[in-house]
Amino acid sequence: MGVRLLVLVVLSVALMVVDARFTLLKPVRSQMSLVLMQSYWITDLPQRLWQGVASQFGSRTELVAENEKLQTENLLLQGRLQKLAALTEQNVRLRELLNSSALVNEKVEVAELIGMDPNPFTHRIIINKGERDGVVLGQPVLDARGLMGQVVELMPYTSRVLLLTDTTHSIPVQVNRNGLRAIASGTGNPERLELRHVADTADIKEGDLLVSSGLGQRFPAGYPVATVKEVIHDSGQPFAIVRAVPTAALNRSRYLLLVFSDGRTPEERANEAAQAQEADRQGGDGAPVVPATVPKPATAPAKPGAPAAPAAAPATPARPAAHAVKPAAAKPPASKPPAATRATPRTEE
Amino acid sequence: MAGTFSRNGWIVWLTFAIGLLLSVSPLPQFMEILRPLWLALLLAFWALYLPHKIGMVTAFLLGLAEDVLYGTLLGQNALILTLITFLVLSLQQRLRMFPMWQQSLVILVIFGLAQLVQLWLSALTGNRQPTLALVLPALVSALLWPWVSFGLRGLRRRYKIN
Repeated sequence: MGVRLLVLVVLSVALMVVDARFTLLKPVRSQMSLVLMQSYWITDLPQRLWQGVASQFGSRTELVAENEKLQTENLLLQGRLQKLAALTEQNVRLRELLNSSALVNEKVEVAELIGMDPNPFTHRIIINKGERDGVVLGQPVLDARGLMGQVVELMPYTSRVLLLTDTTHSIPVQVNRNGLRAIASGTGNPERLELRHVADTADIKEGDLLVSSGLGQRFPAGYPVATVKEVIHDSGQPFAIVRAVPTAALNRSRYLLLVFSDGRTPEERANEAAQAQEADRQGGDGAPVVPATVPKPATAPAKPGAPAAPAAAPATPARPAAHAVKPAAAKPPASKPPAATRATPRTEE
Repeated sequence: MAGTFSRNGWIVWLTFAIGLLLSVSPLPQFMEILRPLWLALLLAFWALYLPHKIGMVTAFLLGLAEDVLYGTLLGQNALILTLITFLVLSLQQRLRMFPMWQQSLVILVIFGLAQLVQLWLSALTGNRQPTLALVLPALVSALLWPWVSFGLRGLRRRYKIN
């Protein structure tokens, strides 16, 4: 018995070392996860069933009310989107004038949370998109309100996401108001981030919005991360203590957005946007998403060299039905339209 | 290994499958820290009553499964579960004679030791965890031991697993 123990202990230690140092065991792990990760799905089943039943038996008045609410929300978002198109276009032009690099365009895809990490000391979640869906290691994950975290482990059909508030996670941010850069580290508390090494005299105050700065080359720039909750100036401490609350609902969101940064060149994007608009003009009667009051942004074809993709934001007339349910952040270059948008899965399940 | 059972060995594996499910089932935030070590409990029971069938190799394989589920280093939980099974097996002759509360105490000590090894391993891999809170699952498991033990004994008698 002792020999067997010795063999197994040595074996597991060897496995641990190999797993920590090399990528040799990744295929083994991903094969095992193919079967084992189903258990997250199974344990999630009761909740899905409950949701399904609840949506089946939702009363008519409730549904009507919800529909109304969603329509209002949609209208508001659409309204904001109109402004966004013009602003993005202006931004692109100004950047051209300044000869600075063009904004990178991102596309997003909807994923669903299927499990939480059982270890209470780590903040990780499991989502239902994996390597086969094109997810890559280190990919940023958002919810409707802000950044949530990044993909840290890939499995064939699922992946593990490390949340911003995990103690091992830090993200480069900047204050939206003045561009002050800092690093926000997780504290292990789902409602708190801490800014490390912020000078006592730095211009940062309660209520400031922190957005991702994109400096770490990991997260795209400009997504909201947290709002500053308190700034403590302690003369005994070398730095100010800055605490912030993540804007994303880290422990409540069920539908998440995976951000795919767009690898295409500005020319390709412009061409695609032009094509999309051309198609829009031909089949223009179907579902005019941009109200008539806003002049059709005739921008993209004007300058083929300009990365004018966002200008043509609401323009994929080939799928007019998709318009209504597409999340506001989804841009037209999404090669796969986010089929499982927020509205659809709820009714399906 | 299932082939070595004379009959109804699949029930043992079914309990292990359920144990795996329980070890990832969602719990309210405040209870996560108290989550019992389901697989360790099941392994301890079956190692106690079927020592010729359920041994350290089973524990090792289940540990690997748990590692994949938890996303820890491959081999970490395998090592822990192997150690637990080894301790239970080496105390097996005495443990079976003990009254239930004494068994619970021994389980508490064994699981507590295992959790300390766990703490040490996660400190090595860089995920430091609050020290004392990590022994809570061992305590909860020890409190659950009588119930698990009664239940599984009933199951074993009913299906005559041996």
